Amino acid sequence: MSDIRFSRQSFLGKNSQHTIEQAVVGIAGLGGGGSHIVQQLAHLGFLNYRIYDPDVVEGSNLNRHVGTGIKDVAERTPKIEVAQRVVKGLRPHADIEAYAHKWQYNPGPLRGCDLIFGCVDGFNERRELEACARRYLIPLIDIGMDVHALNNEPPRMGGQVILSMPGGPCMFCLGFLNEATLAREGERYGNAGENPQVVWPNGVLASAAVGIAIDLLTDWTRSLREVVYLEYDGNAGTIKPHMRIRYLSERRCPHYLLNEIGDLD
Amino acid sequence: MTVRVRIPRELYSRMFDDLARRHEFAYERVGFLSAKLGNRGGDPHIVLLTDYHSVLDDQYVDDPRSGARINSVAIREAMQRILDMGSGSFHVHFHAHRGRPGLGSMDLEETPRVVSGLRVAGPMQAHGMLLLSENFCIAHVWMPGGVEPVVAARVTVVGYPLDIFE
Repeated sequence: MSDIRFSRQSFLGKNSQHTIEQAVVGIAGLGGGGSHIVQQLAHLGFLNYRIYDPDVVEGSNLNRHVGTGIKDVAERTPKIEVAQRVVKGLRPHADIEAYAHKWQYNPGPLRGCDLIFGCVDGFNERRELEACARRYLIPLIDIGMDVHALNNEPPRMGGQVILSMPGGPCMFCLGFLNEATLAREGERYGNAGENPQVVWPNGVLASAAVGIAIDLLTDWTRSLREVVYLEYDGNAGTIKPHMRIRYLSERRCPHYLLNEIGDLD
Repeated sequence: MTVRVRIPRELYSRMFDDLARRHEFAYERVGFLSAKLGNRGGDPHIVLLTDYHSVLDDQYVDDPRSGARINSVAIREAMQRILDMGSGSFHVHFHAHRGRPGLGSMDLEETPRVVSGLRVAGPMQAHGMLLLSENFCIAHVWMPGGVEPVVAARVTVVGYPLDIFE
């Protein structure tokens, strides 16, 4: 079964399936983006998951939350249960540690991951997640999207996929995070608000993130050597390297130093 | 107890390049890595390697029975770094072949002696030994308070690509 099942992805390399199956992946947030990611990881054959989400399925999730049905709204199914259902349907023996709360309440399991997907809301939570990933030398792949209303013009849909690699440029270096944005969000008590969300940009961004993860683990393209900051333009339907990469003067991160990692004694 | 070791790729490459240099009489080179502990109260325990320190040419002792023997100055410097930086220390060397490297009799005899000195300097830190081959890496870790070393469940080289050795 196993040989047939993954035969179409054997181009990823001789030992790629073993690598995929031994990797421990963390997913912080199982909403629109995270639900796509966990589904794709299960199809690819991942076996070790550390997943976090405090929410239950609500009616407003059904327009985008992969794996849910009407029954989940009625039963107020936790999103972590939906994710487990999706994974177990494809990988019955998967090792899943699922937490029905935010990752900050119990970050230990996340620290043990080889790779983290950040599917969180807001800039402050991104900063916290990146700080945790950097402190424990874990690559973090962040995804997010938003829709902005403009006067007399069609709404603008945008998003990002960022690979935050320890030692390399962080989200501050890339200009995605800055103090002003964090402060504005902080003034709203850290509430990122209810942003417009639809299924297809979540799918695009999640797919790009999973593609980066697979390249990172298998090196199948032998080309992933530089900074990854992808910019999604939902109106144009494009995803491409962000122009800020060109203006990065320093490829090392001055914000998270390698001699400041590990537990705080 | 599960222990995982992580090392940034840039550091891994720098270490590899240094260990690959020929020495006048030593058959192989050795070095030291600084280490920090992570997830101390949880599972798995994580050892994070943060810096590499080369052993100077004149700190090797010409001993035909050993691939690389270093003098007391090199050991003292490693101990001093532990005190100065508040970090652990890992002895590292390289076996020139492919596949999972194995410890030779000299490694099994000498390494615990070196590590015991390191542990005296930093009893609350993790110390140990990293052994590389051309395409694999293993680690033996002495955790704080532990009597016997633990073989790391995996060593991960963090970078492009992400290499997981277990």
